[in-house]
Amino acid sequence: MSSSTFLRFTINFYIFLFFAYLFGPLIVMSITAFNSASFPRLSPWDCFSTEWFGVLVNDARMMSGFKNSFIIGIAVVFVSVPIGLAGALMLGQLSNRVRPVFYTLTISTILVPGVVLGISTLIFWDRMGMIFNTEYESFFYDGIFLTIIGQSTFISAYTMLVFISRLQRFDSVLEEAALDLGATNIQYFRKILLPFLKPAIGSAAVLAFLASFENYNTTVFTIVSESTLTTVLASKVRYGINPSISALAVIIIGLTLTAAFIHEVLKRREHARENELEKEGKTLKVKTYSKTFRNPVSVMVLLIFVAGLGTAWMARGYNVQQCKIEAFAEKRKMQEELSKKRLAEMQKKLESQKAASATSSTTKAKKSAPGTDQYGSIFAPTNLGGQVESDEKKMETPETPKNQYQSIFAPTNLEAQVESKKQKKETPEAPKNQYQSIFAPSNLEGQVESQE
Amino acid sequence: MNQWFKKFFLRNGLVLSLYMLLVTFIWIVVMFVLPQIFMFDFSFRFNWTQIDPSKIGGPDDVYTLQHYKFLLFGSPNNPDPFNIVDVSVFAHTILTAVFVTLFDVILCYPVAYYLAHVAKGGVTRLMMLSLVVPFWINELLRAFAFRILFGEEGSINNILVYLGILSQPIDFVRENIALYTGLGYAYILLMIFPIYNAVESLDRNQIEAARDLGSPWWRIHLRVVIPFAKPGITSGCTMVFMLSAGALALPQIIGGPSSLWFTQIIYQWFNTGSNWPRGSAYAVSLLVICVIFVLLIMKIFKVKFGEIGR
Repeated sequence: MSSSTFLRFTINFYIFLFFAYLFGPLIVMSITAFNSASFPRLSPWDCFSTEWFGVLVNDARMMSGFKNSFIIGIAVVFVSVPIGLAGALMLGQLSNRVRPVFYTLTISTILVPGVVLGISTLIFWDRMGMIFNTEYESFFYDGIFLTIIGQSTFISAYTMLVFISRLQRFDSVLEEAALDLGATNIQYFRKILLPFLKPAIGSAAVLAFLASFENYNTTVFTIVSESTLTTVLASKVRYGINPSISALAVIIIGLTLTAAFIHEVLKRREHARENELEKEGKTLKVKTYSKTFRNPVSVMVLLIFVAGLGTAWMARGYNVQQCKIEAFAEKRKMQEELSKKRLAEMQKKLESQKAASATSSTTKAKKSAPGTDQYGSIFAPTNLGGQVESDEKKMETPETPKNQYQSIFAPTNLEAQVESKKQKKETPEAPKNQYQSIFAPSNLEGQVESQE
Repeated sequence: MNQWFKKFFLRNGLVLSLYMLLVTFIWIVVMFVLPQIFMFDFSFRFNWTQIDPSKIGGPDDVYTLQHYKFLLFGSPNNPDPFNIVDVSVFAHTILTAVFVTLFDVILCYPVAYYLAHVAKGGVTRLMMLSLVVPFWINELLRAFAFRILFGEEGSINNILVYLGILSQPIDFVRENIALYTGLGYAYILLMIFPIYNAVESLDRNQIEAARDLGSPWWRIHLRVVIPFAKPGITSGCTMVFMLSAGALALPQIIGGPSSLWFTQIIYQWFNTGSNWPRGSAYAVSLLVICVIFVLLIMKIFKVKFGEIGR
């Protein structure tokens, strides 16, 4: 008995872990969208801020990519839904010998790597353009046209699968009855078959749009000189990341959850209606209403909504700029402590090199911070050398704090910082640069102290 | 054949018949098969577009094997017997795809079984929905999430260092751990649903009979459930293998800087390399090897192609 309890516990724990794996990354990413640090991260947490949503909306490349993705998505729906429908109807009427071949061909469009599909589409239309000797501006070379075609190739197979599963439940007696009663083929198609397939058409369209919207592998080849949301995203993510991408993710996750919620509610309602038809006379209105609230999904969405409201309320009357300044000051304090500690450790080792590096760093400091006032000597730019990357970006935000700290936050201070950081990133195998920029300031301080 | 057409037109009428024939023809032939043939053809041609566009279609526009030779042996003055970079990347891609597939089978089989036979009513619905929701979110965004988690200053490193398990953060990206986890994550859904569909149709009485006859739970799975679910497992494996071997976004974003994915090399030939024929040759090689591999697996496990995708 105890072994079965243990087994059950293990299974439940496993399921929990599985869903943690499924949702953990998405949750972490969503939270980073609200951290003001310029690198998407959970800890150290700087400040709660929604500024990254603004950054996202003001990103012209992202928005034009979004527009293209939307256009392509709609077009793909209009191409792939009729194709999928034709394919599904065709499959039902093929002879037993041809059907497996046809099915294999259509399923292959899903299995063939998207990269290969993109390349073959690109080459095919390029060659067609050459054969017909068309101009370069013609649609044979147009990125959006090629992407629509390339994506529809495999998305049609998705829609076909949706139609097949719906058609399996179709009662073929209906067809015979309609035709017997004198309906023409087209009347039968329009008045019997299409209404029956209506839900499938809806879900196929949604599926096609989503598949198109999130496709990257095929699109990256067929899009040529244009850009879609995914190609913009890919280049952004590859060359330096910031939380505005997390902000986009938050929006998409929000939309997805809403869609899932609506889908669930509609399904329940349909279910209830079917029940109603079965048990005539029973009032089901109250039942469905209470069911909506018993539904775990709706509870989940409600919780998320409440959490969102809560954060919004917390954010009310909360000054992001103020918080940032505080966070920055705190970090500087920590940095100073750290550098002092390091100094104690390194002093002995650096005895011989101290003089040389100290002089070089003083000249460097003078050069890179010409505009600093009397604070300059204390908060010399090189003091910040080891500061975390994020501080650099923070200062670039349009509303640079205008107060007594201004001289500390002067952009010139940061140049040295950025430089040293960049050097660190670019040349990980050259510890000399890193060495100098990190330990130089502490050397300097050490000198001051020893003189005193 | 002729008879079939007659029957087909009689049943559907002229307009509908033409619609169905024309549309499926365009889809299968114009959009799918012809482009593959053109790509195949193109992979045997010289790169005249870059070298000398006027020679296209001329007497010099003949077939060549140079791109396939390049994939195997590298440039003519390569001192090594093989094109070590490309061939090893290719092998790495295929091997990793195999491991990702195995990882997904092991990960997903218990969940699929749980969904089909253990969970009840509302719980099943909720689990299904929460399985699907993450896959409505862009692949690139999912990759981005993994980058946040696994970066050198990422959440996992921070937590491990904070707890004192690690003294130094591990560079998960460089070690490709981020890539493996991300690929495994990306195709969970494609593994779960085929297995679920197969397991669900198993008659519960068979399991109970095995239990009554004294079989321990692991043997029930080994002898009853898994053999029954074999078509579903194979079809899930096929999809996961093909898609992870052909993945591009994830390796680009969370792949280690020192190790490439084969699709990245193809991408490079198209974009920075400006050698389309060579890129197509590489793409054809990838496709052919993957298809052969999948067919081999199907042969071994005795599963037919028609059972895939249901």
